[in-house]
Amino acid sequence: MIVQRTIEAAGIPTIIIAALPPVVKQQGSPRFVSPRVPMGANAGAPNNKEMQTGIIKDTLQCLMEFDHFGQSKALPYEYKHT
Amino acid sequence: MQLTTAPGMQSEIFAPTTPPPVWTPVSKPLEQCVVGFATAGGIHLKAQTPFNPAGDFSIREIPSAAKTADMMVTHGGYDNSDVNKDINAMLPLDRLHELVNAGFIGGVAKTLVGFMGGGGNVEKFRNETGPAIAKIFKDEGVDICLLTAG
Repeated sequence: MIVQRTIEAAGIPTIIIAALPPVVKQQGSPRFVSPRVPMGANAGAPNNKEMQTGIIKDTLQCLMEFDHFGQSKALPYEYKHT
Repeated sequence: MQLTTAPGMQSEIFAPTTPPPVWTPVSKPLEQCVVGFATAGGIHLKAQTPFNPAGDFSIREIPSAAKTADMMVTHGGYDNSDVNKDINAMLPLDRLHELVNAGFIGGVAKTLVGFMGGGGNVEKFRNETGPAIAKIFKDEGVDICLLTAG
């Protein structure tokens, strides 16, 4: 992800919540997580406070724990359009 | 043994390459971190000029003090229905404020950033949009940054 890489290069650790993990991996994302969500609900299902909080907290924990470039984790949350 | 028979010949099959690693280590615990947030989901304040859905590398600065009810989405590249129901699905500002109140993170950056990802002018994003966003976060003392995109 071009913008993520620029922020990381400027000295700020970054992590991206991706709906299309193969794309961000190929583009050289330093860190990413991937809940099972469609593009547009990357941070969780609309009006689902519990899922959104879980995704954000897990993402922040991954940012703290990941120790190498390109590291990623699939997050255990699932949402589909109805 | 000769390995090259036609110098400079390249495969006709497009073979994408991953760019070189870029890495900044985390330097403080979460509860002390000011968290920045940028989204490629085309989110902006209703009062701001909408993005051009045909292609737009500009950014919108979104004050973290703003209400999600005063935000909207303009992005031609994905189904906007979830964000239209709840901005937090892409820019989880209300959740970030709750995590500050719970002591899970130190703070939320004063300014968050919306832009319209999904292609467009890659050189502009790499050389102008990206550095402009990084400068906003650096100037405001952001320790770590979350993004939604891709």
